[in-house]
Amino acid sequence: MIEQFKSIWQRRELLFYMVTSELKAEHKNKVLGFLWSFLDPLLLMATYILLVVLIFDRGGPQFPVLLFCAILSWRWFTSSLSIAVVSITSKSKVVQTTRFPLAVLPLSGIIAGLVDYLVAFVILIPLLFAFDATFSVNVLWLPVLIIVQLVLTIGAALLCAALGTYLTDLKNIVQFILRLGFYLSPILYSVVDTVPERFETYYMLNPFAALIESYKNILVRGEPPSEYMAIAAAVAVIVFVIGFWYFGREEHRLVKAI
Amino acid sequence: MEAIRATDLGIRFKVGKRKRTSARNIVVSGFRRRRGGADDFWALRHVSFTVSKGDTIGVIGRNGSGKSTLLRVIGGIYPPDEGEVSVQGSVSTQFSLGAGFETELSGIENIYLNGILMGLSKKYIDSVLDDIIGFADIGEFINMPVKTYSTGMETRLGFAIAIHVHRDIVLIDEILVVGDAEFRKKCDERLDKIMGERTILLVSHDMNAIRRFANKVIWLDKGQIVAQGEPEEVIQRYLGS
Repeated sequence: MIEQFKSIWQRRELLFYMVTSELKAEHKNKVLGFLWSFLDPLLLMATYILLVVLIFDRGGPQFPVLLFCAILSWRWFTSSLSIAVVSITSKSKVVQTTRFPLAVLPLSGIIAGLVDYLVAFVILIPLLFAFDATFSVNVLWLPVLIIVQLVLTIGAALLCAALGTYLTDLKNIVQFILRLGFYLSPILYSVVDTVPERFETYYMLNPFAALIESYKNILVRGEPPSEYMAIAAAVAVIVFVIGFWYFGREEHRLVKAI
Repeated sequence: MEAIRATDLGIRFKVGKRKRTSARNIVVSGFRRRRGGADDFWALRHVSFTVSKGDTIGVIGRNGSGKSTLLRVIGGIYPPDEGEVSVQGSVSTQFSLGAGFETELSGIENIYLNGILMGLSKKYIDSVLDDIIGFADIGEFINMPVKTYSTGMETRLGFAIAIHVHRDIVLIDEILVVGDAEFRKKCDERLDKIMGERTILLVSHDMNAIRRFANKVIWLDKGQIVAQGEPEEVIQRYLGS
């Protein structure tokens, strides 16, 4: 695995260029360009506010900003996996003709997503003020949460990238799992109000339940991260190791499988 | 000095097992096909040859005979499933003209992206950027997105980048047939210039190009070497087959 890290590190310049070109290509052709980094989650938030507040008459006074925190984090994860699952097959021409560490392909999607995520804080910060978020020293946990999410996403994305090359319909399966994950994570609701206490432990085993709850805690509620974050971090590391191990084992076979 | 040596080289594609499949296929036929063997397809088999430093090797054969697979093995894309291949020196895989183009980005942005993909450093690309733009000679289009390019322009840009990647062994697949007469002349001159100093493997259906550049020819058919040696001799046998 250290060999893998080394080979990726040696090609960090490539990774950097892949990320910037991904970001540029993504935004270049649109009239509003980079504004979509804000507009996309904002419009998504508006849709869910319509659903939860107007139709179901739920959600508290801080609901919009809690929702926005959750959507940002979740959006980074889903875009990373959706890119990863086709990252090798969609670049088949390059992969079949140029030698470079293939992990760069899913990784560049993740990093591009991270940039989008951080850019959206430009909107999140005024929202936090507008909805009276409680600020505390717990905000300092933010980099830790982002790193845990990054580690988890890299592991999951490498698995998706390798398996998605062998299995054409993994793309559809991943879309379904992500949809399910959206409802099984505290995005549209809060854990305390919705999840029955006896199920809480099982519910929180989902690393994204702990992650999103923690984001909401530190950014909006001024509280420390969820006590289940330690488990989420452990799951993240395990997924990361499995992802790297599997990807490394399959890497030289992937090109032939395209 | 020896640059490339292949000994009993074999590349196998597993048609039933590892090949891209769908969940439905696995359910329907996966269990029946569990034991590989019958479904294996050998893209190359029992291929042995040596290339000396400075040689220009022409690789000929019908479509699907394993020519591109051979270049990919030498380029390190496919590890051999059987036999061995040893390569002395750095390899440029310039059989990939324009493969890494991001069509939304401009020509210049793609020069950087592709150059770095091929292993150049940004600093080096900075220093040869003007040469690359000059060689491609596509005028104002260099600042426009690659999706607005004609096939010819894409090839010109791809070739212009590729020839600035200096490697000991140069792999070229079918590029001499594209582009207009003037650009072709430019490419030929460039090839003439690097011939002898570098080892070149040239895959082409254009026998005139092979005659002009190669000092040795390998004829592949169905993944096996039918003949190798003197260009004229092998070409005559190939054309007569």
